[in-house]
Amino acid sequence: MLDPYYLQQLTIGLSLGMIYALMAIGFTLIFGVLNVVNFAHGEIYTIGAFAGLLMIATFGPPLLAVLLVVMAVGALAGFGLERLAFKPFRRFSDEASMKSRAMREATLMSSLAMSIVARESLELIFGSQFQSVDLSYLINKQIQLGPVTIVNGDLIIFAVALVMFLGLQWLLKYSTIGLSIRAVSNNPLGARYCGINTDRTIILTFVIGSVMGALAGILVGLYYGAIYPSMGFTPGIKAFVAMVMGGLSSIPGAVISAMILGITESMATSVVSSVWADMVAYAFLLITLVFFPQGLFGARRERV
Amino acid sequence: MSNLLEVRNLSLKIGVQEILHDVSVSVPRGGIVAVLGANGVGKTSLMRCISGIYHATGGSILVDGEDITKLKSHEIAERGVLQAPEGRQIFSNMTVLENLVIGGGPLGKQELDHVLSLFPRLEERLKQQAGSMSGGEQQMLCIGRALMRKPKVLLLDEPSLGLAPKLVRFICDLVERIRSEGYSVLLVEQNVKAALRIAGRASVIEGGRIVIEGEADDLARDPRVTDAYLGGHVH
Repeated sequence: MLDPYYLQQLTIGLSLGMIYALMAIGFTLIFGVLNVVNFAHGEIYTIGAFAGLLMIATFGPPLLAVLLVVMAVGALAGFGLERLAFKPFRRFSDEASMKSRAMREATLMSSLAMSIVARESLELIFGSQFQSVDLSYLINKQIQLGPVTIVNGDLIIFAVALVMFLGLQWLLKYSTIGLSIRAVSNNPLGARYCGINTDRTIILTFVIGSVMGALAGILVGLYYGAIYPSMGFTPGIKAFVAMVMGGLSSIPGAVISAMILGITESMATSVVSSVWADMVAYAFLLITLVFFPQGLFGARRERV
Repeated sequence: MSNLLEVRNLSLKIGVQEILHDVSVSVPRGGIVAVLGANGVGKTSLMRCISGIYHATGGSILVDGEDITKLKSHEIAERGVLQAPEGRQIFSNMTVLENLVIGGGPLGKQELDHVLSLFPRLEERLKQQAGSMSGGEQQMLCIGRALMRKPKVLLLDEPSLGLAPKLVRFICDLVERIRSEGYSVLLVEQNVKAALRIAGRASVIEGGRIVIEGEADDLARDPRVTDAYLGGHVH
C-alpha cells in the first residue's frame, strides 16, 4: 500500500503539472507555427491574472464571467503582441527568411523587450507586492478524497487543461482554421500558393495561444491567491522546459513533459528543501539538451 | 475573345538584379500556353509574380480584365489563379486528404471527387502522410491541390521535373484532359519537347526576356528552338 504522504505529494504534483501544461500548450502552439520562442508568453499569463483581478475588484461578477473577460483580454494581448513584436520582422515572407536564424533571434529579443515593458508597467501601476484578491473567489476549498486532500481548484484546473488540450487537438485536426495553422506551420510558402491568408493565420495562432496563457494566469492566481507583476516568470520557464522536453513543437509531448515535471518537483520536495525544487526543472532541461536533443519522445519532428 | 490571363510588360528587380524584363504572356480561355527556357532564366520568378509571391516592379497582370498586380497571394487565389509550384510545396507532415481539403479552401470537399477521378492513385493514399509518397505522387497531389479550387487559370511550374518518362506522359495527358474540361493552363517547362506537344502557343525566355514567341507547332520547327533545346532535331 502506498504511503498516504506520497499519494498526497503525487496529487500535488499532478495539479502542479497541470498548471505547467496549461501554460506549455499555448507556448508550444506558437513555437510550432512560427518556429520562434515567444518570451512574452509569461507576461500574457500575468496580464490575464491582472485583468481578472481588476474585474473582481470593480464588478465582482460570477467566476465564469471573469474567465470570459480574461480570455478576451488574452486575445487582445496576443493580437497586440504579434503586431508589435513579431509582424515587423516578417517583412520578408518567403520560407527561407521566415525560418532564418536572424528572424528567430530578432523576435526573441523583441518579445523579451515586450515582456519587460509589460512587467515594468504593471509594477509601476500596481507595485511589485502581492495583490489582495477577494477571498470568496479563491479556488482552494478543500475536498477530502480518501487519504488525500485536494482543493476544488485542482479539479477546475484539470478540467480547463483537459478541455483546452482536447479542444485544440480537435481544432487542429478538423477545423479550417486548424488546418490552416498546421499548413502554415508545415510549409508557409506552400500555404500561400493554396490561398491561405498566412498573416491572418499567424495572428489567430497568437490569439489562441494567448487566450490559453491568460486563462492559465487567472486560474493559477486564484488557486494560490497570489497575483503580482512577476508571477509569469517561473511558469514561463517551466513551460519552456516542458516544450523542450516534449520535442519543441509537439503539444502532446509538452503536456506529458509538464506532468512529469510537476510530479518530479513535488516528489523532490520530500527529499530536498522546497526552495531547491526549481532545480528539478533546470536539471531536466540540461539532461534533455545533452542526452535527448530531439526531446524525450523520439526524433520525429512533428510540428504542432 | 479576350485573354483570361494577361501579363503585360512585366519586370521584376530584386536588389540590383533584373530578373524579368518586359515580359508579356497571355493565356486565352481554354488554352494551354507554355513558357520555355533553361534553368535560371526567370521562368519561376514569372510564375511567382503571377501568384503574388513576388511583387513585380513594373508592368501589370490581368485576370479576366481585373488587375491583380498588387494583390496578395491569397487574394489572387480567391480570383481563381492557382499554382502547382516549383518544388511542389505540399504539406509533407499532413495527410493527402488534408492537403486536398486545404487546397479547396471555401469549396471544401466539393471538388474532391473530381480531383480523385483524375488521380486514382491519390484515392488509395488519402490517409497517408503526403511527405512519405513518391515524387510522382507528390506532383499529382500538388496539381490536385491546385485543382481543388476549380481555378480559372492553372499555373504549372515544371510539373515534369524529376519524373520518370512514363509519369511525364501521364502529366501531359492530364494537362490535355483538364484543358478539355475547360480549364486554362499556363505551363512552365524545361522539357521543351513535352511542352510543345501539348501547348497551343509558347514563348521562349532567355535572361529574363521573351526571345521567341509563337504557335507551338511553329516553335517545334524553328531552328533557334530545335538547336538550343531539342538537340538539333525533333520528331
